[in-house]
Amino acid sequence: MAIVAIQFIPVQRSNPPIPGDLVAPAPVKNTLRAACYDCHSNRTRWPWYGALAPASWLVVHEVSEGRRRLNFSDWISYTADPATASHKLEEIAEFVSSGKMAPWYYTILHPEARLSPAQRRMIASWARREAGRIAN
Amino acid sequence: MRFVHVVAFSAAMAAASSMLMPYGTQAADAPAFTIKAEGGHFSPSQLEVAANRPFKVLVISAEKTPIEFESFELRRERVVKPGETITVNMPALSPGTYKFFDDFHRDTPEGAIVVK
Ligand code: HEC
Repeated sequence: MAIVAIQFIPVQRSNPPIPGDLVAPAPVKNTLRAACYDCHSNRTRWPWYGALAPASWLVVHEVSEGRRRLNFSDWISYTADPATASHKLEEIAEFVSSGKMAPWYYTILHPEARLSPAQRRMIASWARREAGRIAN
Repeated sequence: MRFVHVVAFSAAMAAASSMLMPYGTQAADAPAFTIKAEGGHFSPSQLEVAANRPFKVLVISAEKTPIEFESFELRRERVVKPGETITVNMPALSPGTYKFFDDFHRDTPEGAIVVK
């Protein structure tokens, strides 16, 4: 009964426009798209389980928190302040190397986001190189 | 990563120089505003700026530990070490209120850039 009732509490599940997406070599971009874009872009593939409360609240919360912390669809905004962009890149390298991102609970239902050690190294080395390029 | 992927990746990295994202500098004549972090406060905590014109914010920290000047709305995130002054480029903005905070000290009261 309670489960049925909460389905009527509306949640925001939208994909806003894309101001300016990250530009990166295809292997990097494809990996980020598969493992990160659901939470860190305006291209969220809203999952089926996210249509049901209370999971929907969790998913919506993760996506809105993920988007405001790091949004690849609005990368262009970071680029106007290069030190912010390089800071984000350093964080990407750090969170991906340590295995903190993508979150483990997300990878249970999204095996494509389970990155191999080699994929993690690829993302981290791209991010560090790009951060270094911006800093100079 | 399998060998083919390594090869493909190296090739893509080599080709990447043709698809680098441009990172912006800002007009030297953009107006500058100063915010000082001291004693767990930003001062001023509200900054009024003109709409539709890029500007800079100089953040000075007189704190004893690093702070992180951050704004979700403005997509800015910068660490400021004790005694340091950083320059944050801001784009031309439409009228509105854009909050900023210290992500390393969430008890520091939030500030806002009020664009008019
Ligand atoms: C299930 C949603 C989800 C996925 C998928 C995800 N993230 Fe996150 N990410 C979050 C949330 C929520 C936060 C903010 C809370 C935190 O820091 O744990 C975050 C924070 C971050 C931060 C810190 C940003 C900052 O400025 O604080 C980075 C960097 C990051 N993620 C990178 C990635 C990368 C790279 C991937 C893909 C490999 C990824 N994330 C996949 C939800 C996600």
